[in-house]
Amino acid sequence: MKAASFERVKDAISYTYVLLISGLLLLPFMVILMRSVTLTLPDGTTTFSIKPYFDIVQAFWPKVYLSLSIAITTILIDTAIGVPAAYALVRYNFRGKRTLFTLLNGVWYVPGICYALSLIITYYFLYKWFLGYWGFIGAYTCGFLLLMLMTCIVAFRYLDPCYEESASCLGAGRLTTFFRVTLPLVGPGVSAGILLIFVLSFNEFITALLLNLATKLQTAPVRVYADVTRARVLPSISAEAAVLQLISLAVVLIYLKLVGTKYLRGVILI
Amino acid sequence: MTTYERLKPLALLAPAIALEVGLFFVPLSLLAIASVTSKDSFFFTPVWTLSNYADIFSPAYTFDFEITFGLIIAAAFLDLVLGFPFAYIMTRRIRKYQDVFRAIMLVPLFGELYIAYGFYYVFLPGGPLSFLFSSSISLFKALYSMPAAVVALAIYTFPFSVYNIGISLQGIDRSIEESARCLGAGSMRTFVSVTLPMSLPGIIGAWLVSIGWGLGAFAIPTLMGGAVVAERMLSVEIYSIALLRMDFGMSSAIGVILAIIAVVIFYISLRASRGALI
Repeated sequence: MKAASFERVKDAISYTYVLLISGLLLLPFMVILMRSVTLTLPDGTTTFSIKPYFDIVQAFWPKVYLSLSIAITTILIDTAIGVPAAYALVRYNFRGKRTLFTLLNGVWYVPGICYALSLIITYYFLYKWFLGYWGFIGAYTCGFLLLMLMTCIVAFRYLDPCYEESASCLGAGRLTTFFRVTLPLVGPGVSAGILLIFVLSFNEFITALLLNLATKLQTAPVRVYADVTRARVLPSISAEAAVLQLISLAVVLIYLKLVGTKYLRGVILI
Repeated sequence: MTTYERLKPLALLAPAIALEVGLFFVPLSLLAIASVTSKDSFFFTPVWTLSNYADIFSPAYTFDFEITFGLIIAAAFLDLVLGFPFAYIMTRRIRKYQDVFRAIMLVPLFGELYIAYGFYYVFLPGGPLSFLFSSSISLFKALYSMPAAVVALAIYTFPFSVYNIGISLQGIDRSIEESARCLGAGSMRTFVSVTLPMSLPGIIGAWLVSIGWGLGAFAIPTLMGGAVVAERMLSVEIYSIALLRMDFGMSSAIGVILAIIAVVIFYISLRASRGALI
């Protein structure tokens, strides 16, 4: 009896701690959201209003579309490149596999600002045609390919090769097997990569900040940063930041509802 | 094995390799080359010089390194202090609503920009934590200074830190802890002499990963750090020296140094935590 109540106290402390930390992680987001709907009247009182969200429609939404378009193009290219690469890394054994994998991941370990600067220099010096929309795509497909590789590798490891073997025993060709058996089975794993790449490339701003000067293209997060450094406390700027976070959060929640956290564990979640 | 079979994985990997070579290794090599040229001469007729590196290691930059690493290391320690109990509870005690807490761990991934901006409000007079500054026993000397930036940076790197610690805690065979208990060790003793030492690689890995991520922080030092941190943090200097002073040589040199430090740190942390990747 005593032991059981002791356990209950421990549980209560545990949940309180986890809730406190979760609150701390959510705090910046909640505060931005709160500020975006709080309007200060001339007499100093505050009132609830969603007017800031309408104020930003004309200037800000085109940037959101640009960011969305960049994120989606990045996802498409990374899926096309990452899925076969992960398949090869899991299913085939060849010399130097580990080294190759480490080298493919290299970009993840270099600080964003260093990578961004190296890209700017390269775009000016070598790849001049990249100074535009495709510069963003190039930077993000390369920078976030690791996420697709990682999640797909986890997914392919989960997949028992016997399904593919039975399909080919039953007479399916290699392509049919891949599209009819392998892909549907690893689909959720691939979707974890898609989710992570979406969240990170949609909100990425260091590379975008450096590319902004060269390409004159301003993505939504860079717009938020520029506004924040120019005039910090306006509700409309909070609304801009809140819109981006709400879009990201909506995508995350829809994903978790559909797939759950299974395929994110071992990649980025415990 | 036929040649065809041998070439197949290579063919599947070729686009990925081409992408990483073209947009990572080539740019990184150019960064290294640009770092030994003077000012913006790299784009015209390169003037070769090693003075950029000499400058970085001169006393003029000591303060910048102190600021940068002071901030990052402090944030990494805060991550450990807050993150270890969190990871321990998440892997051992939490049964219900586990996925909700996991989902919340994804929120800091949205980016340091929102964390910096959100915390800007949090510490502002009238904000939820403003009492820390207004009370007579003020914890922080100034609103936008090192401690504010440390807290914000710790929040940003928190998920990476928890991930590393959590993976190592999950890797501990529970029967070892049970044996310790059977042999008469109390729960405290078991924790200190079994669980903690066995999760040490993960803890070191987590600490290093936090440092590695902090190296690239940009929005938090500029928005939260106050004048000194915002100007002297190395990652911010890369930006300002390159694009405001047009001294690509100097900023590339800082970039190369930071990249080397980050790669070394991540390499050691991967070694320590045996393959936890992020």
